[in-house]
Amino acid sequence: MEIIEQIKTNKLFENQTEIQKICIDKLQSNPLPNPKSELWRLSNKSKFSNLLDYSINEKDPKFDIPFLNNTQNIIRLVIGEDNKIFLKGENYSIRQLSKNILDEYIKQKISSFDQNEHWSDLLNLSLSCEKNILGLKINGSKIPPIEIFSHASSNSLTAKTLVIFVEKNCDIELLQVNLCEENSSLSQSTFLCLEENSSIFHGVVSYGENKSHLLNSLNVIQQKNSEYKLGSLHFKLDYARFEIRVKQSAGNAKTNIKGMQITKNDEQISTHTKIDFNGPNGFLDQINKSLADDKSHAIFEGSIIVPKIAQKTDASQLSRNLLLSNRAQIDTKPQLEIIADDVKCKHGATISQLNEEELFYMRTRGITLTEASKLQLSSYFQEIISFIPVSKDRWDLLDKLLHEN
Amino acid sequence: MVNENLVKDVVKEPYKYGFVTDIETEKIAKGLNEEIVRLISQKKEEPKYLLDFRLKAFKKWQKMEEPDWAGLGYKQIDYQDIIYYSAPKQKEKIASLDEVDPKLLETFDKLGIPLTEQKKLTNVAVDAVFDSVSIATTFREELAEHGVIFSSISEAVKNHSNLIEKYLGTVVPASDNYFAALNSAVFSDGSFVYIPKGVTCPMDLSSYFRINSGDSGQFERTLIIAEESSSVSYLEGCTAPMFDTNTLHAAVVELIALDDASIKYSTVQNWYAGDEKGVGGIFNFVTKRGKCLGKRSKISWSQVETGSAITWKYPSCLLLGEESVGEFYSVALTNNLQQADTGTKMIHIGPKTKSTIVSKGISAGNSINSYRGLVKVGAKATGSRNYSQCDSMLIGDQASANTFPYIKSQQPNSEIEHEASTCRISEDQLFYLQSRGIEFEEAISMMVSGFCRDVFNQLPMEFAAEADKLLALKLEGSVG
Repeated sequence: MEIIEQIKTNKLFENQTEIQKICIDKLQSNPLPNPKSELWRLSNKSKFSNLLDYSINEKDPKFDIPFLNNTQNIIRLVIGEDNKIFLKGENYSIRQLSKNILDEYIKQKISSFDQNEHWSDLLNLSLSCEKNILGLKINGSKIPPIEIFSHASSNSLTAKTLVIFVEKNCDIELLQVNLCEENSSLSQSTFLCLEENSSIFHGVVSYGENKSHLLNSLNVIQQKNSEYKLGSLHFKLDYARFEIRVKQSAGNAKTNIKGMQITKNDEQISTHTKIDFNGPNGFLDQINKSLADDKSHAIFEGSIIVPKIAQKTDASQLSRNLLLSNRAQIDTKPQLEIIADDVKCKHGATISQLNEEELFYMRTRGITLTEASKLQLSSYFQEIISFIPVSKDRWDLLDKLLHEN
Repeated sequence: MVNENLVKDVVKEPYKYGFVTDIETEKIAKGLNEEIVRLISQKKEEPKYLLDFRLKAFKKWQKMEEPDWAGLGYKQIDYQDIIYYSAPKQKEKIASLDEVDPKLLETFDKLGIPLTEQKKLTNVAVDAVFDSVSIATTFREELAEHGVIFSSISEAVKNHSNLIEKYLGTVVPASDNYFAALNSAVFSDGSFVYIPKGVTCPMDLSSYFRINSGDSGQFERTLIIAEESSSVSYLEGCTAPMFDTNTLHAAVVELIALDDASIKYSTVQNWYAGDEKGVGGIFNFVTKRGKCLGKRSKISWSQVETGSAITWKYPSCLLLGEESVGEFYSVALTNNLQQADTGTKMIHIGPKTKSTIVSKGISAGNSINSYRGLVKVGAKATGSRNYSQCDSMLIGDQASANTFPYIKSQQPNSEIEHEASTCRISEDQLFYLQSRGIEFEEAISMMVSGFCRDVFNQLPMEFAAEADKLLALKLEGSVG
């Protein structure tokens, strides 16, 4: 396969790290994801091969971080910038993970990977050179909000990896922004580990320009009594694939996911989630919204797995979709796999267009059709967007971005 | 705390249709090749087009691979170790039921199937299929008065060849899937129903399928055609003896409804499910599909699936005609080591088409019960509407219940809704019923039957009562 050849022959990879070697080995037996598997079946093949077509990025040019105003009291990091990170506040500390710990952790992760399911992660780790892997360990309290940026520059394929350990009793607010320039591909893999009693309020905002591609994989491990909240938004991407895997390793944890994808033109954006309850008393509330216009294609695939050990799990999953054009397409597949008997699990899915009665109501009040549709759409967005941790003053910018789209 | 063992005992009702009828049968050699396909066709004195149909299907089948996407775990089927044709030996032609081998009649009597026409009380016309051939069809004359054709498919090939040639394989093409291709190549018998224009079939029609021999597969094919403004209700029942080997059943059912026609197809499937260790049982791979060709046509599937070691079955509706309606009501119960992967496909093609899916799965023991359904709304299906509801009930902590709904829409002016939930027998409800003097077992069967009520309401009267009883029996001893 070309991509592997490209990795092997790339000058950048003359000094391959051990992790890269392991991943390349694994990829060699499985150079492309199996298009027949449920996880990849609907993926647009030509767009996917476009993603892999760019040459691997060798340099990381500087880029402008969006919404720069008011940076007070925000910790802002860019993956790939060659800085040693050690931040210490009154009650907290954020330090970079040592190379040994980081390598050990990633290797252990790789050993548990299913080649098809974690294909994006394997690709990411084969491409990520050492400086593009950022590992952090966070502890303490009253931690200012953290923002982490990943960026892909034009005509290149860039891979960034982020590993964060949130230690016991620690609460953080984390916003991850993935930016793709015109004609670019970004592969982003994130590994979050929540220790007991910790919590993350996580936001993921990904957007690009013309012909941007994104492979975004998010792996979360939650220990007992931890709480994970995720608000995500993907838009303006020619091809994007967002994989979320959450594992409640011992149950008794709370997970709350609100995601949204907006597709226009002939874009394809998909969200694949897998929530694994590996202990009793787990809780999940998930909603995924899609909005498909023009000739675009939005996909949601969610699975909830409740093994025998996960008694008293309470999980609900909802997929709500708006189809705005008769050339657009929506595929949704919420699924439940349950063995434990004392559980409350439900899922739902709807696909429809804008509510005509509501539109009519607004029009009778003198609001034009365009305005009324906008209003309705913004109320549709609101539920998700208000769940993304972005401080209020920069909120307008995001709003503007959405409206431009 | 509910006594788990007590509940388990309630489910362990032995399979009462497990006897074998000792009857002389005519079998052909084991194995499958072109010669066998030709031999079956020759035995049935079929016209050339049908032989060609079979051979084409066989060629396609050879190139196909057995599907594995359902993730069913079963030992590989050796397709060369199956007898593809087996028929009870009897006189060449049967003029009336009196000439049918009394042993056969006795078999169907034991199964509670009214073959002898004296038992007209039930007012159901029956076509009984024993292994590979149809042995008797009742009420023929009365049906003929209304112009309704109800016969075995072999007879239909002889007497109504034009209809068979026109419609066979138009809903489920020979190359549709692995098991449909196999069936198209070797199908032995089945039922054929033709309801002429404007006729409401005066009685329910019923087919009864019985597998008797342990080493022969059953491959029946059913074709129902409802002409303009006609309507029919068709019932299907299945049983098999207990063998410790697995028997393959790969059937194809095709329904065609023209303008304003309606077909209601109900199944109570109670093939032998294997014992509690999972030995034996029927592998049930069935392709059922209806085509709503005409405007305002309607096809309704209702099924109660309690038997078979493996069930792989997705009764579907192709909604082509404007304002056509598809319905699917299902109760699937699995116990011990049974595996069921069942659901439906609703393909909305025409405008203003509507579909409803209600699926209830009950899994007990170590079984796996999956709902797998597809709702697809094409670009031209403006104003279409779908509602799906899948509920699962888990009994005991070893059984698994899965839901895999695939939803695909290309039409903004349509509405699709899906909901699914999982529950178990609630202790509060059980306690409430018991405190009112209702016995434990009865309370459980009341709750299960309440859970399935939406589906049972859709079954024809006789079937509903039977289904209720069947579930109660099957569940005896498994609730915890």
